[in-house]
Amino acid sequence: MKRSRYTFIVAALSLVVIAAVGCRDFLDLEPEFTQDAENYFINADDYDRALTGAYDLLQGSFMSLWIGEIASDNAIAGGESVTDTEGLHEIDEMRHDAVNTELRNIFRWNYAGITRANYIMEFKDNIDFEGKTQVLAQTRFLRAFYYFELTKFFGDVPLVVDERLGAQEVNEIERTPQSEVYAQIEEDLQFAADNLDWTNPVKGRVTKGAALALLGKAQLYQSKFAEAASTFDQVIQSGQYALIDNYNNLFSVANEGHSETVFDVQYTGLEGGSYGCLICLEGNAAPGFQGIRQYDGPVYGDGNSYNLPTQDLYDAFDQSDPRRDASVLDIEAFIAAQPNPSSITYAIGGGGHTGYYNNKYIKRQGEIGLPDNDLTSPVNYRVIRYADVLLMAAEANAQTGNDGLAQQYLNEVRQRVGMPLITSGGDQLLQDIYTERRLELSGEGHRFFDLVRTGEAEENIEGFTVGKHELFPIPQLEIDLAGGNWQQNPSY
Amino acid sequence: MFSTLVFAQSKEVSGTVTDASGITIPGVTVIELGTSNGTTTDLDGKYSLQLIDADKAVLRFTFIGYKPVEVPSAGRGSIDVAMEENVETLEEFVVIGYGTSKKKELTGATAQVKGENIEKMNIPRMDQALQGQLAGVTINTNSGSPGGSSNIRIRGLSTFGDNDPLILVDGVVYDSEGLNALNPSDIASVNVLKDATAGIYGVRAANGVILIETKKGSKGGKPRVEFDAYYGIQETSNKLDLLNAREYAVVKNEMFARGGDEVPFNNTTLGEGTNWQDSVFTMAPMQNYNLNMTGGGERTSYSIGGSYFTQDGIVGGPKSNFTRYNGRVNIVTDLSDRLELTSVMLYTHEERKALPENGIGSVLYNTVNAFPTESIRTPDGNYSYLEEVNEVINPLAQIENTNNLSKVDKFVGKEELTYTFSDALSFSNRLAYNYALVDDKVFSPLVWYGPGKAQNTAINADLDPSIVLIGDSTEIERGAAVYEQRATYLDVTFESFLNYEKNFNDIHQVKATLGASVFRRRGEALNATAYNIPNNSEDFADISANLAPGGYLNNAGSFQFEERLLSTFMRAEYTYQYKYIISGILRRDGSSKFGPNSRYGLFPTVSGAWLASEEDFFNVPSITFFKLRTSYGVSGNDQIANFAYRALLNGEGVYVFDDVITQGVALGRASNPDLQWETTRQLNVGFDLTFYDALDITMNYFQKNTFDLLFQPDVSGVIGSYGPGGQPPVINAGDVSNRGVEFELGYQTNPALDWGFGGNFNATYLRNEVLSVPEGVEFLPGAAFGVGGVVATRFQEGFPIGYYIGYETDGIWQTQTEIDNAEVEQPGARPGDLRFVDQNGDGVISFGNDDDRVMLGSPLPDFTFGLALNARYKGFDISANVYSAIGQEIIRNYERQQPYANQLDYWLDRWTGPESSNEIPRVTTGATRNTEFSDFFVEDGSFVRLRNLQLGYTIPKRWTEKAKISSLRVYVAANNLVTLTGYQGFDPDIGAAGGTLSAGVDYGFYPQARIFMGGVNLKF
Repeated sequence: MKRSRYTFIVAALSLVVIAAVGCRDFLDLEPEFTQDAENYFINADDYDRALTGAYDLLQGSFMSLWIGEIASDNAIAGGESVTDTEGLHEIDEMRHDAVNTELRNIFRWNYAGITRANYIMEFKDNIDFEGKTQVLAQTRFLRAFYYFELTKFFGDVPLVVDERLGAQEVNEIERTPQSEVYAQIEEDLQFAADNLDWTNPVKGRVTKGAALALLGKAQLYQSKFAEAASTFDQVIQSGQYALIDNYNNLFSVANEGHSETVFDVQYTGLEGGSYGCLICLEGNAAPGFQGIRQYDGPVYGDGNSYNLPTQDLYDAFDQSDPRRDASVLDIEAFIAAQPNPSSITYAIGGGGHTGYYNNKYIKRQGEIGLPDNDLTSPVNYRVIRYADVLLMAAEANAQTGNDGLAQQYLNEVRQRVGMPLITSGGDQLLQDIYTERRLELSGEGHRFFDLVRTGEAEENIEGFTVGKHELFPIPQLEIDLAGGNWQQNPSY
Repeated sequence: MFSTLVFAQSKEVSGTVTDASGITIPGVTVIELGTSNGTTTDLDGKYSLQLIDADKAVLRFTFIGYKPVEVPSAGRGSIDVAMEENVETLEEFVVIGYGTSKKKELTGATAQVKGENIEKMNIPRMDQALQGQLAGVTINTNSGSPGGSSNIRIRGLSTFGDNDPLILVDGVVYDSEGLNALNPSDIASVNVLKDATAGIYGVRAANGVILIETKKGSKGGKPRVEFDAYYGIQETSNKLDLLNAREYAVVKNEMFARGGDEVPFNNTTLGEGTNWQDSVFTMAPMQNYNLNMTGGGERTSYSIGGSYFTQDGIVGGPKSNFTRYNGRVNIVTDLSDRLELTSVMLYTHEERKALPENGIGSVLYNTVNAFPTESIRTPDGNYSYLEEVNEVINPLAQIENTNNLSKVDKFVGKEELTYTFSDALSFSNRLAYNYALVDDKVFSPLVWYGPGKAQNTAINADLDPSIVLIGDSTEIERGAAVYEQRATYLDVTFESFLNYEKNFNDIHQVKATLGASVFRRRGEALNATAYNIPNNSEDFADISANLAPGGYLNNAGSFQFEERLLSTFMRAEYTYQYKYIISGILRRDGSSKFGPNSRYGLFPTVSGAWLASEEDFFNVPSITFFKLRTSYGVSGNDQIANFAYRALLNGEGVYVFDDVITQGVALGRASNPDLQWETTRQLNVGFDLTFYDALDITMNYFQKNTFDLLFQPDVSGVIGSYGPGGQPPVINAGDVSNRGVEFELGYQTNPALDWGFGGNFNATYLRNEVLSVPEGVEFLPGAAFGVGGVVATRFQEGFPIGYYIGYETDGIWQTQTEIDNAEVEQPGARPGDLRFVDQNGDGVISFGNDDDRVMLGSPLPDFTFGLALNARYKGFDISANVYSAIGQEIIRNYERQQPYANQLDYWLDRWTGPESSNEIPRVTTGATRNTEFSDFFVEDGSFVRLRNLQLGYTIPKRWTEKAKISSLRVYVAANNLVTLTGYQGFDPDIGAAGGTLSAGVDYGFYPQARIFMGGVNLKF
């Protein structure tokens, strides 16, 4: 009896000890059905899927579109109240500072895109497969696009290439001079242009034309006019693109992929997304946000009255210019023209009202965005269309003294909408091109950056301070989180 | 020896056993001490026993819930005994981790509630019944809706992450959500380990530990059957004071006129208009039936019970319902002389229907903002649209169109074998399990709430479905949808431990525990959504009913997770002369939550006590017990997502190619291989004092510092963590401190008397402060104010967790001259606007940054109080339970800042011209800064609430005896009868349903019901 009891005690004790030290493996769990980032790239499909992930961030472009308009003389912020997306109101009134959620989103989202592109580049030598060059070409295009967005907003930004940074490394990183960032952008885009075809059977994939057009744009932003002119010339001479006849049809869902499409961001209405995560959207948030508040009537859908065009923009159009009504919706005039105007209602948001709505990206009936139909629409964002290429080419040529070619490109754009031809030259021609850019491209997110780059901002934007507002401030938190050593942009 | 046997008289003794009030007790064990000779009392409380040694025999009477009685027979033939009920005494055993201890000998700070005090509250969830009963334990309701959960916080908030304590029911891990499965009547006792002595549970103990025991039977007891039932009617405890139609029209006309717009109402004589609250709030029933049987044989005791509970909501009635069926079998049996088996098994079936609550878009949010000039239904009988207010829908239509059901089947239990080697040493093996099968179903019919409403699923009032374009040309309809998920969760804990306890000559006492534990939790789920459900009807709402062509709209998902713990623990306690106690705990935990670099942690605790009243020199007759205690130790918190230490490709990388949604891969959360648990170091100093064996006082001072908070702070955007599905890495950084004082006072008259009264009072003072945040991070943002508004709550160094930050106001700008001449420039200010305070003194109010923002309050009360009073006289008893929280603030965030939204009636006192008001600003549709988050939207949330008031009458036994009823009590009770508060919202007792940093933000909180009920307690 006694002995068996001791045996039992020993057994019990050993059980405890075994449990304590014996089964360390017990805690070695592996995540189920998810992949580990470090051991991922094994076959060609893996690269393709990672590339899709890198494309994803393009869908945050609606923010850039808003700021490009709201910061300019084209539009006001709007919305439910002056504190609704307050950052846009501050930018609208040129009183934005280093604390601004929307600017921080620009910073974060574009770096997320860059990181996803760099992740592919980091492992680019893992395996070889057919079509790898095209995957890398697309990857580098995307990286260049995101860097171009960043430098457009913030000037000098840290240049991270082909690697991911850890929490420690980020403390030591510096802002890279803009010229070096541009050099990387040009190198990436040149690689993309050299390795991509003019067309891709898959709608939404970037092409040689997109790479060259973005390259030309980057050169134009650096005032490398001769190089820009020659880059744009390649796009125009390729014969891949043509203006479509009817300006009114440029922005419909049905007409996507038309001959004027150089580079679109793709959206869907099938799984638009929700307010909870705007960067997670697969639908275009611009139309929903820019739609008519509380609207009940024909043609349009309901929206949130953001990014409202100004009277100044409306008045800039010639009365006979079809682009006015295609670009700016005069809501009262529209309602009055309907068969039963009194049945049509809409509301005015506390964030401001101009009587006008962005008629290019606006919520339309039938362009459904699931699950919250107020938020998104499937309409693609036309980042670069051929008319833009022609006008940029005209500008580059005018800057390098090729007035004839500049006139030709400019008038190609004007002819499409039945506007009289322009015969000016020199500085006047340049001015005419700038004006044409506003008329042709209003509501598409270019205006503020065009005004800055051409030195016309102070003249046209109330509250614009030269030497300060050309760049947006680096978000203060981003400075702090990167070790606090970066110099803020001038005057912020 | 021989002669004793010869002369010992064998003689019969008989008698009746009663309780203090003379009611006979059946099933009392009567034993002749020192022998195995014994019997039990019959149904009439009578016994008779042949004594072995009639002269020297001592009879011992024992019965659960009563103090044992020993009576020498002294040769008598008849011995009647009156047993005293065992009220809380120092000799009482309290369940601590892996064992029990006499309350007297505890060295840690603990707090206990007995089952009867929980049962008496008549509250569906036991955690809510605990509110105000335990010093240092703060319980807030997350929602007053049926089945809504609570927020349990022991000694404050130590992290912005998971602050839930570890809850063990009979040794089985429960989460706070899972407490719905428990029937409060099944609870025998609750013990809360508040200080470092909770460290026996190591890496999970930092938020405190709640040990719950369910009812067990007693060996040798005759069957006792108890039946309880109550029925109650609930109504809302509060309605808001909103504008009626006439007032609304006046205020809105002024608002539009001031904004330069056309006035909306030409005629303001509109009377009362629609009272939306009256239509949304209903009277709702609740009822509970509970049957319990306890008893035991020679070797076995049992407690078997079943219950049924159902409660409709005061919002939505049966659309907001919680129903619970519950069955329980607890058996303790001696398999042999040395081997005891404890088997606990609980089965629960729960069904819950819930409406959208606690947020923008919730039923009550819509109710508050719906305007009184709109009728509920249009003349043709349809629900009205409330068209003028964006995103506010008809709350009654919303109730009608909400269809969801969550069903839970749960098996919880343990099998525990204890082998007793000797009086000193025992060895226990315990297998505990918690299995839950959770079925969720959400049916979303095609609905039309009016033009432009975001909640519409149809495209018009005819309920036509939207058309979705698939690919280039395929158009399909998207109709009614049903989402279903089936999830299973299984926790298994295996524990093995040795307990040693020995008393050496009443001088040295030694206790030791040594054990090991393994824990595994696994969850798996499958879900799917089907579209185009036939007839737009819930009757066909099943994923098999998908009618969408080609399965295009069908989507399915799944998840699975697993986590494990591997632990060893030991506790040693030494007592010298029953006066000095020293105890030490050491636990080593390994957790799969952390990477190989820091997977194991060591958690030590020391504690000690001095029973001063046992000293010879202690000579204060009035003080019958005095103990000083202290403890210090380390515990952990591992409540973070699994695999947070490594980088996974679980981000979202989705793009659209060829108009088809294309899934790619993307980086998810960034990695941190050195990630480890949060560490809490806690010091406790306290004493327990008893006067005249009747008045108990307990006091504790504690200082609880938490280090290495599991933080997911902002990181530099350059790292690239902020894409879809991306997250920054989880790191250990930041410190939080909680300091406080707890006080408990209890008094009870002698239960043997036929009258009596008693009371328990407890008070807690708590101070919470964030001591540091990670480098480079200024604060962690919490909840936003308004729609698309600024972050109003923060986790920031030098402030309490979740404090509010915004603009301080200093009255109202009265005139333009005042604005023009003011020393401080407030951009955009107009007469009638709130006047903000220039905190940094730079002469200008800055919007959009922190220059002029200050702390406006905190959701954490400074003081909480609980008071329970009871009195009885003969058959009558009355009890009251009061809870109070003082010093917290609440953000009024249920007012939609839209021109047509209805408003509270304080707007009647708005600024209308110079000197008209210095508190409420003007109303206008124009641009104004009055909607900036300021102290105008912050209110004092202090309150005192009469939680329960109960009057009972026990029918005299002589009337019930014939029906074999040993006790019959009937009662009437009211819950939440009175709430004293200055807060304007529905209910000041608001928890943190949206997470720790959303505490105190009121989106139109579902208030707790006021309940009037009647019930019976029946004992056979």
